[in-house]
Order: sequence, then C-alpha cells, then structure tokens
Amino acid sequence: MILSVEQVTIGSRQKKLVQNVSLAIQKGEWFALVGQSGSGKSILSQAVGQMLAPGLNVEGNIFFNGQNVLKLSKKEMRTVRGRKLSYIFQDYQGSFTPFRTIGQHLDEYQKAHGLHSPQARMAGVREALQSVGLSEELASCYPFQLSGGQLQRVSIAMALLLAPDLVIADEITTALDSVSGNQILELLARRQQETGCAILFITHDWRHVRRYADRIAVMKEGEIIESGGKHRILDHPQHPYTKQLIKAAPVLKHGLPSGLQEEGKA
Amino acid sequence: MRCFSMQLPKGKKHNWQGAAAVLTLAAVLAGTLYAFFYLRHDPTLTNMSGRLQGMSLKHPLGTDHLGRDVLTRLFLGGQQTIGSSFLALLAALAIGIPSGLIAGFKRGWVDRVFMRIADGFLAFPDTIVAIVLSGLLGPGIGNLVLAIVMVKWVSYARLVRSTVLSESQKEYVLIARINGLSARKIMCKHLFPHIAGNVLVLASLDLGKIILLISSLSYIGLGAQPPTPEWGAMLNDARPYFQSMPALMIYPGLAIVLVVLLANMLGDYLYDRFDVKRRGSHDFIR
Repeated sequence: MILSVEQVTIGSRQKKLVQNVSLAIQKGEWFALVGQSGSGKSILSQAVGQMLAPGLNVEGNIFFNGQNVLKLSKKEMRTVRGRKLSYIFQDYQGSFTPFRTIGQHLDEYQKAHGLHSPQARMAGVREALQSVGLSEELASCYPFQLSGGQLQRVSIAMALLLAPDLVIADEITTALDSVSGNQILELLARRQQETGCAILFITHDWRHVRRYADRIAVMKEGEIIESGGKHRILDHPQHPYTKQLIKAAPVLKHGLPSGLQEEGKA
Repeated sequence: MRCFSMQLPKGKKHNWQGAAAVLTLAAVLAGTLYAFFYLRHDPTLTNMSGRLQGMSLKHPLGTDHLGRDVLTRLFLGGQQTIGSSFLALLAALAIGIPSGLIAGFKRGWVDRVFMRIADGFLAFPDTIVAIVLSGLLGPGIGNLVLAIVMVKWVSYARLVRSTVLSESQKEYVLIARINGLSARKIMCKHLFPHIAGNVLVLASLDLGKIILLISSLSYIGLGAQPPTPEWGAMLNDARPYFQSMPALMIYPGLAIVLVVLLANMLGDYLYDRFDVKRRGSHDFIR
C-alpha cells in the first residue's frame, strides 16, 4: 500500500470541501480519480503533499508509505516531497520559473535532495530528458522556448527525476490538444512501467480512464460515491451519477464502455 | 538578464535617454572618485586673502566666501550627496526586500505584523522624521540617512510583498515547493528575480528624490555639517553672496538638477525596459 487516505475531511470554517473520503492506492497501479470540476479532487490530492492553501484544515489520516503525512514536520515533509511523492499539473506554462532554464530546474531539485556532485546531476538531467524523448540540448532552453507538449514532457521528467513512489497527475492533458495529450499519456504509462511508480490520475476525461486506469474512484461534491476496478465501474456502474457520467461520454465502437467486447458481438 | 528584461524596439522614446543617463552618471561618479584620489586643493582649507575669486586656471570655478576651491568642493560634495543617497537607498532595499519577501511568502500573522509595522512608518512624512531624528540625535549626514531609510524601506517592502503575493499563487512556486525546495531557496531563486525589475525601477526613480531630500535637508542645516562639502550645504553657504557672487549658488544648484534629472531619466528608461505589464505574456518573444 503506497497511499492510504482514511476518513479525510477538508474544509475551511465556512464550508467542507471534501467529506469523509477514503481511498487506497497500491504499489505500481494507475488509480483514476474522476469527477466534475469543483468536486474536490485537486484539494484532496494537495492534502496528500501538505500543499493546501492556508486556512484549509484537514481531519483524518493520510498514510503515505506507512507514515502519517499530516503529522510530519515541515522539514520531514520536504524530504518526502519530490523524492517520494511528486506532482504534475495541468498548467504547463506556469509550472516553470520563467527565467530559469530547464536544466537549472532539473538540477536544482536533485541538489535539494542531496545530490552534491555536479557531474552526477548533469548526468541525471541528461538521462531525464532522454527518458521522455527530448534532446539534451533543451536543458539550456528557457521554458517559453518550448512547446506545450515538450513542457509537459519535461514536467513528467521532473516528476520522475528522483524515482518517486507516487506521482499525482492533476488533469495533465486538459491544456493540451488531443494528439499531444495522448502522446503525453502514452509516455507516462511507459515511464510508469519502467519505474514502477503508482499514479494518482485526476481527470474528467473518460477516454483516458478507459485506456489507462486500473482502478477508479468517482467523486461528487466532496465525496467518493463509487470506487472499484475499471471494468466494474465502467460496465456495471451502481450510482446514478456514475451512470450519468458514463452515458455522457459515449463510445463509438460496439462493446462495453470499458472497451471489453461482449461475447458474440465482436 | 536576458530573459526577464527585454530589448526595446528601435526609436523607442527612452532608449537614448537611458544610455545618456548611464554615461553621464558614470562620468559624475568617476569625477567624484577622481577628486577623492587626486585632490588638488584641500576642500576645507580656508584662505581669507583669496576669497570670492572668479574663474582662474588655479581655481577653475573660483573660490567661495572662505577662499576654498569651488570645483574641489563640488566634486567632494557630489561624493557626499550621491554617496549618502546610494547608502540610504541600499539600506532601504536591504531592509525592504527581505521583509516584503517574507511577509508575502509566509502570509498569515507574519504578513499582518510586518504590514502594521510598515503602516506605522508610513504614517510619518520623510521630512518630519528627518527633523525629529536630527532633533533627537543631533544633525549630521548619518542621522539623515537613517531617517530616509526609516521612511523609504516601507515602499519597497510593500511593492515586493504585493508582487510576491500574486506570484506565489502561481504553479511554478507550487512545483518548487512540491519538489522539496526550502522557503528560503524559493524566495531567493524563484521569486526574487521576478521582482528585481520592478524594484530596480522604483529604486532608480527614488534615487532622484533621495538626492533632492538630502540636499534640501542639508540646505536647512540638518544634514552635512560645515566644513564638510555637500551640495545643499554649499547652497546655504552661498546664500549671503547671492547678489555679489551668484555663481556660488549656481554650481551646486546645477549639479543637483543635473544628477536628479539623470536619475529620473535612468528610471524612465528602466521602466520601459522592465515593462511589467507586457512581461506577463511572452508574446513579444514569439
């Protein structure tokens, strides 16, 4: 068990944004968290890394690798962030400090986690860029010189730089066109196979869920209304809201929503 | 520099002004330095037999009411005026930038405490603080600098804080935090370069104001004390001879006007170069 969220409630004084949510992510699996905008998906994912905005309180327990992250000190948290747990965000433009090169970004994060030899860090930068199919020369480029797809590739390289146990991918394809989006997900899936990390994949796009997810949880208004294996959720949804969501994303091919072919119809 | 400042398009209004301002400021500074290292006349040596002389080869700008060489005093006065203005500015930056960074980045009660302190300082106009301080600690250029720092750091702290508040909401700061960088590193390496341009612009515009403030307070006797040469004090010394030797007032007056003008031109140029509104989108590069 990589991540176990137990009875977590998040909210400010006025309003509860996430209510009594529990979920568990196994080692190396692709866990999709699906829901409309504003359903609390991102808030929940931010709570895992203690990244919530000030003013939001968390109740409950979040165990990451057996440690309760909500009880860790700031300093201990810094050793977890980036090293064991990393994030990829939707906004690839905003994810990079504009006046630092790609190489400087990658270098800095290795340095922050105790890689002191510059040669080793340089090698790490090169390897990271190659692993996502980019040329090494991009290391000396500034973020605005790269295209959206390239930037999102660098984000993936950055997230996987120190071989974390869990990557939280928060709507990473939303700002990309569908071709680049698919390439990014292919890449993420390939890198997941290579590194064996678990992925918490936050999305509202059923196509991606259908193709990549192992397990799914559906969130609505701060609560998880249904969760289970991909085929169970997609082919036999229990909750009316899940049914509604699946119906709203029709499949062109014959067969079940999860992509399985029904017997005799293939 | 390459990335967060930009080349101005040719023919842009302030382009030549910036170059001119930098060159002339550099020349003035070089002159004051030269005067410091190579003194032809003792700036405080009085010579009552040779007072109020006109231009001559020995004294290019003549002598003042105590027979001191005006050119030497002008250069050394520039060193006092510009030097202490820079000192005041640097000290204000050194206090204002870190406090703004910390207040904006930490938010919460830290921010509130910092800003209430800043508001407290802001309640006093600079001239009043200067007069009160020299009343308490005695007149002198050091106390004048202290007074200016006390008033000026607030504007930097507020500027930096507001920029940091908006910038630290952006995702690159989130990413930096998520990748385990410490708050200090994020502030120094990721946030500070963002605000450096704005701060530089404000500082260069402030430089002119500070020079003016120091010389005007010295003029009324709160700053440099005689016999130290200082432009404002020189103006004051020359006042009784306004009708017989107007040149004695014109030289330091012109010097003040010139340097303040140049500082403002430099500020305008930097303002154009670090244009904040256009920097948000990177359209101009693509």
